[in-house]
Amino acid sequence: MSKRISPQDVLEALKGVEDAAQRKDIVSLGYVKNVEVSSDRTVIVIELKAAGSPKANSQLAAAIRKAAEAIGAPKVEVEIATPSAAPPGSQSKLIPGVKATIAVASGKGGVGKSTVAANLAVALHRQGAKVGLMDTDVYGPSVPALMGGKQEPRVIEGKLEPPVEWGIKIISMGYFLPRDEAVIWRGPMLHKTVQQFLGEVNWGELDYLVMDLPPGTGDIQLSLSQTIPLTGAVIVSTPQDLALDVAWKAIAMFRKLNIPILGIVENMSYYVCPHCGVREEIFGHGGAKEAADRLGIPFLGEIPLDPKIRVQSDAGRPVALDLNSPLADAYLAVAKALAEQVSHAGEHIPQII
Amino acid sequence: MHGEGDDLVIEWADGHRSAYSYQYLRDRCPCATCLDKEPEPPSETGPLPMFGAGKLKPIKAEIVGRYALQIFWSDGHSAGIYTFDYLRDLCPCDDCEAAREKVM
Repeated sequence: MSKRISPQDVLEALKGVEDAAQRKDIVSLGYVKNVEVSSDRTVIVIELKAAGSPKANSQLAAAIRKAAEAIGAPKVEVEIATPSAAPPGSQSKLIPGVKATIAVASGKGGVGKSTVAANLAVALHRQGAKVGLMDTDVYGPSVPALMGGKQEPRVIEGKLEPPVEWGIKIISMGYFLPRDEAVIWRGPMLHKTVQQFLGEVNWGELDYLVMDLPPGTGDIQLSLSQTIPLTGAVIVSTPQDLALDVAWKAIAMFRKLNIPILGIVENMSYYVCPHCGVREEIFGHGGAKEAADRLGIPFLGEIPLDPKIRVQSDAGRPVALDLNSPLADAYLAVAKALAEQVSHAGEHIPQII
Repeated sequence: MHGEGDDLVIEWADGHRSAYSYQYLRDRCPCATCLDKEPEPPSETGPLPMFGAGKLKPIKAEIVGRYALQIFWSDGHSAGIYTFDYLRDLCPCDDCEAAREKVM
């Protein structure tokens, strides 16, 4: 080797690497945390300001490695640390360890709300956050099946210990009912269940508690909104006008209850034919984005209609777990947009002093 | 939001300050029972004042979700959920009073 490469040389080379989203080089963005060069090894530690998608991160790592190798740095290793997307402070006495509570809601049923809730929980977890998933749809609990649901909650010291599937703490009415039984309850019973799911479950420390709501604007929604100061709500809709019209009702309810709308997710946005690759927009496309723009609500992203989502959901392995999958990437992108909204939704919570 | 003498005081996010007397709020309880009821004459004028309810005050108040306040009154009533929008509309300060008269 003619000349020993110094960390300064490496840093200089990294000035040529650009962050795609920010359109600025990673050195002036302050991403480069540490550079160590020994005779046979170069270690570059990058700390991102916001959690990026795994794909974007590996592209960035490759660009950094290329730049360092170009000046002759030996055996380059790149470590990318992403901040766990941690939202601001806790808000409820009932669940003191939970930083953010997110209700996943829709106006009408059948828009894939539970599937979106489960996959969002997984995607938030993949970005480094501690996540719980609470299935408040007591009539049609589907979260246990979506998440694999092999374990059952146990009672430890008077509190329910939620099962952990794919790293996520889960509670659902589905755990307490035989398959062929139905919940036929009036409001007060539903109210009590919501309170128990919050206060009598050992959620521990969580960054996000994602709540899958039943469709509509009824007892459960009201109980939840009254029992805890929700951080915000995510509205799931399919793109057609009919669904969006009803989604508007859910939005109106949350506005009345002073709960911030964190954004809209367009589900079943389009279908790519596996045989010919043609993109079919079965329910129309972009309706949710248009509605979001019109109502001044953030648009969090779109999830395609893909048989793979159905197959894996039925098998209890959410698609958001997959690596190198456009479906998982879609969910990761939505989760990232959601985390960003949550980070500034915690303001203006009323307090008694 | 806090109690001050016989008043409930709310400092709003926009800087406005509202002070409500407890009796004023109790008389405007938004629950279904109170809305249907004819206003009652004050009980202190009854024949046996020693059995009167005593001075009305809240025993405690709780925030409902992030949109309302529930007050537990010393007369045992607690069904009213005072939304913040409702409370703001009720603000008895001179400015708000004047604004309301203008609308009417």
